[in-house]
Amino acid sequence: MKKRNGSTLLLSAIMMMSLLSACGGNANNTADSANSGSTGSSGAGKDTITALLPPVSANYQARFADMEKEFNALHPNLTLKIEPASWEDMTQKLDTQVNAGSPPDIAWIGASGLSKYAALDVLIDLNPVLSDEVKADYDEVPMKYFQLGDAQYGLPAYMEIHTIGGNKQFLEEAGIDWKSIQQNGWTYDEFRKAIAKGVVKNDKGETSRYGFVFATSGVTSKDYLAILAKTAGLPDYFDKDLKYTYTSKKFLGLLTAIREMIDDGSMPKELSSIDAGKRWNMFLTGQTMITGKGLSAFENSARLNNEKIKANDGSAVADSIEVDYISLPVPTFNGADYIPTSIVDGYIALRGKKEPSEEHIKNIALAVNFLSSGSIAANYSNELFLTPITESARKAEVLEKFPRNEDNVAAGKAMMAKALPARTDIPTEQAAEALKIETEVIIPKLQALLADEITPQEMYDAVKAAAVKSFGEDGVVAD
Amino acid sequence: MNQLLTKRKKLKLESDSGWGYAFIAVALIAFSLFTAYPVINAFIISLQKYRPLGSTYVGLENFVNSFSDELFWKALKNTLVYTLLTVPFNILLSFLVAILIMPFKKKTQTIFKAVYYLPAVASGVSLAVVWLWIFDPLKSGIANQAVGLFGISNQNWLGSSATAMFSLVLMSWLSSHGTAIIIYLAALLSIDNSYYEAADIDGATFLQKLRYIVIPFLKPTTLFLLVTGVIGSFQVFQNAYLMTGGGPDHATTMVGLLIFNNAFTYFEFGEAAAQSLLLAAVIALISFFQFKILGKDIEY
Repeated sequence: MKKRNGSTLLLSAIMMMSLLSACGGNANNTADSANSGSTGSSGAGKDTITALLPPVSANYQARFADMEKEFNALHPNLTLKIEPASWEDMTQKLDTQVNAGSPPDIAWIGASGLSKYAALDVLIDLNPVLSDEVKADYDEVPMKYFQLGDAQYGLPAYMEIHTIGGNKQFLEEAGIDWKSIQQNGWTYDEFRKAIAKGVVKNDKGETSRYGFVFATSGVTSKDYLAILAKTAGLPDYFDKDLKYTYTSKKFLGLLTAIREMIDDGSMPKELSSIDAGKRWNMFLTGQTMITGKGLSAFENSARLNNEKIKANDGSAVADSIEVDYISLPVPTFNGADYIPTSIVDGYIALRGKKEPSEEHIKNIALAVNFLSSGSIAANYSNELFLTPITESARKAEVLEKFPRNEDNVAAGKAMMAKALPARTDIPTEQAAEALKIETEVIIPKLQALLADEITPQEMYDAVKAAAVKSFGEDGVVAD
Repeated sequence: MNQLLTKRKKLKLESDSGWGYAFIAVALIAFSLFTAYPVINAFIISLQKYRPLGSTYVGLENFVNSFSDELFWKALKNTLVYTLLTVPFNILLSFLVAILIMPFKKKTQTIFKAVYYLPAVASGVSLAVVWLWIFDPLKSGIANQAVGLFGISNQNWLGSSATAMFSLVLMSWLSSHGTAIIIYLAALLSIDNSYYEAADIDGATFLQKLRYIVIPFLKPTTLFLLVTGVIGSFQVFQNAYLMTGGGPDHATTMVGLLIFNNAFTYFEFGEAAAQSLLLAAVIALISFFQFKILGKDIEY
């Protein structure tokens, strides 16, 4: 009998153990691998560095196995373990791991998300372990995007300028000197007239082609506003005195312009529901002359679709036409200077509940630099039609060559030259408060403005009220 | 001899009860780990400013913040409106479909059941993508083509406050009734035929049979569907997240979406946990009243 009772207890214990291990196993393993600080001193003899990476370019993830091997060849005492993630679940996967206290050592993020992770105190400052030689390899402007205060929380992978993209044929039909605009830019008044010329109506008086279509559905409205705000004299949420800037009259001017472009009929009245896929489809099918936001890689997407049309390939976008993609700068508002929206993405170094050793941090820095420079960076930059941001990548050979529009290349360089470094002086609490105003007030109110449910003044008043509530009368710009 | 038998019986009993405890333990452990622990942990987190590497105790601050947050009340109101518009209609529609399917032969019934159940099997994300296509704001959208037949101009279905909530409600009305239909059908088939035969002898009409036999017998099922429907509807998140993002101007921000944003956009897990518990309390309160009011004369 005792034997039976014993077996019962044993079975119960096994069941309990298996349930517990099933729940906690993954997190514990990750934590160990992520934070096992000892290089070469552990039983396994090797320090493992984990990285969570999305499909940065078409062939990026396909090269993971080679990247791991190459890193191991360079550093025989280290193992680089890369976990792929899709763009859709990248942030969620990372955030879940961060909140469980067991993040990967390295993760890919947009530099704008840096303050979010800094506020959680999970970032590792790589400054003490990065050699001067490594630091010198990176261009100064993108490098700053991964800094907060004096800390270097990661390294940039690439820098991209958000442009708008035009259909060459339609631009020329509308009498727009796109080459001059590429080099000299344009004001809002010039832009407003140009997009009005791009509108085409059918016999019934319905618009068959718009002058300008920007994706503004849901959170993409944030991109629209932020990109235009940069060239409207509002390069950041805070000015140099750390006062909130969207309370400036410049913001009201921008909102008025946003409404005007819809009221003119140059943009669809249904703009608030147009997402990124829809506006690109509208561009390829000739339903708009200019599309936003533009990325360098879109030139290649348009070229590939042109080839499919020529080859009568059924996988070409339905009803699409051949398009020569022209990169154009965002117009300037309120007489402000042109400041391009620079998007810098890259790799951050993370720590979990267990404090990583100095040796492990050094190894993370080695892996981050390995991923963001040299031939790896050269290849994804090339695939994305970007100029590499490290000297080592610029010198490295690329695996494939792509034909490019030389005018777009020159325009890209001209715009890139005006890019400003990121602000590193904004306290994380203040940045977090601005993010909350953006999510809870700016985006919802902008959606309502685009849907013609509120006026620019009403939106401006709502944002001002929220900003004053958060930062006080003295904490906001009053002009 | 008697003593020996008694001892054996006792031992067998002890042995059986041992196995009993072991099997109960499995369910108890699963419940503790996956239900009780998350709820207790959510309560603990709701009293903290949660940070992965070290949280601080803030007492009831997260609850106070939630109560004083206009958006929380707006989200609660949106969720209530959505629930009131979807749950009763969905139950009624499921009931009507079940009644219509009922007279068919078993094979035909199965075909209908499978067809109606299909959306419940399909991924919610795929369904949302299809509905996004239906609600395309330009002329190419199916919904716009449909209203165009009646001379109505293009509608900005998901982008306008006037239509965004209705669009989500319409989506709920026209999908995912499969489970309720099957439950109703099972309940309908369980009603003894003798009741109908007696009613036929008394010359009862179809509506009289519905009023005096079907509806009373289906009351427990209706209450079950109402309670689970309200619970599901109060927890709605996916469609608002995927189709409108809560916009425009928070016209479709539901409590579930607000909790998600607090947790995963702002990393304010403390406030998210507090709002989750408040939502649970609201659901519990509504369920209590549903049972209290509608469950009085139910015979199970």
